[in-house]
Amino acid sequence: MRSRVLAAMLLALVSTAAADAQNASKKPPTIINPPPTAQDYADLAKLPDWSGVWNPNITDQDRQARSNPPPWNEKVAKEVEKMWAEEKAGRPKLIFYGCFPEAHPTWMLVTHNAMEILFTPGRVTMLGESDGNRLRRIYTDGRPHPETPDPTFHGHSIGHWEGNTLVVDTVHILPQAPLAISEAVGVPNDGDMHVLERIHLADKDVLHVDLEITAPNILTKPWNTTRIFFRQRARKFDIVEGVCQQGDYREAKDENGHHIFVPIEKTEWGNVVAPK
Amino acid sequence: MTNHHKAIALLAVAGAVAAGIASVSAHHSTTMFDHSTTMTINGEVVELRWVNPHVSLSVNGVVKERAEEGAMTWVMEMTSPGNLVRAGGWRRDAVKPGEQVEVLFSPLRDAERKGGALKKLTVIATGEVFTANIRQQERPGLE
Repeated sequence: MRSRVLAAMLLALVSTAAADAQNASKKPPTIINPPPTAQDYADLAKLPDWSGVWNPNITDQDRQARSNPPPWNEKVAKEVEKMWAEEKAGRPKLIFYGCFPEAHPTWMLVTHNAMEILFTPGRVTMLGESDGNRLRRIYTDGRPHPETPDPTFHGHSIGHWEGNTLVVDTVHILPQAPLAISEAVGVPNDGDMHVLERIHLADKDVLHVDLEITAPNILTKPWNTTRIFFRQRARKFDIVEGVCQQGDYREAKDENGHHIFVPIEKTEWGNVVAPK
Repeated sequence: MTNHHKAIALLAVAGAVAAGIASVSAHHSTTMFDHSTTMTINGEVVELRWVNPHVSLSVNGVVKERAEEGAMTWVMEMTSPGNLVRAGGWRRDAVKPGEQVEVLFSPLRDAERKGGALKKLTVIATGEVFTANIRQQERPGLE
């Protein structure tokens, strides 16, 4: 009796192992990110030098808001004109409500803060200041975009180098992410936005981001614009942490004497309300 | 509704009110200020909130152009701490509560609200001057 039970258990084990092996053969292979080699790190030195801190040309952003507007569709153009009027009247629309990220490509278009660009094997990383969540990962390891979209504020970016120019292709951006031309003029992209960028040094310390933005639900045709950033090396320009939501709170202490943040009162446009 | 449930309901309302206050977030345009007008306030620093995305300075004093209102607390907003350090020479301890200052500012268009965009701050005791124009950074290789 005991030997029959053991035989049955053994048979069950063998059957399970065979089934597992069969299932394993059906599973797609796991894609790994291989460890970088010494050569991969050496190759980074052949890329152009984009070190330092890059701060935006805000005056040019303002100029282009009027001189090079996006080709808004008829419906959005009316909304945008209303926004301009409201802004002029001192009632600017709060586009970046909730301290959400400016998102891509609006970060490139209207930021007032600096960024830095890091090269590591297989990736270019852009780190911004002030939102605490301005971060773009641009994969340069040859991977494609994912087949199944998983939209995010900054989308999925893949890039490759053409000489000294980084060419970046971005899709899968959240439909709520704004396409804005100022901090008070812009609308949600409403989905299916595609951004092509050519990023390159226009001068020794001047970076150009040439953008072609296709947003079929709000634009009538692709929109081209170039955004300009200046290189700074003085240490006082080092990027500092900036958490947008912190601005909605003040420092206080709780009943146990612990340091905490408590909400402050804001106007409908996000200004701090003066105490009575 | 039991007292326990009433307490929870009250907490939920309080939470919603607090969330409502916080949800009108700080990251905004500055066109609610009348940039064509400059006013001057002389007074005492109440608080410097050194936070993103807009640093704010509260000053209790008299606005020269609205002297009839007497001393009141005004809130002056600026750009982010990083930009103030680079463009205006600011520090977290540039001014402290209780110090006497003179502030030039552009007021909110809504005159009922005591707020402005800071243009220039002078610390009376030291004569130190701090500005807040982020466009002063628009060239490479600044020191």
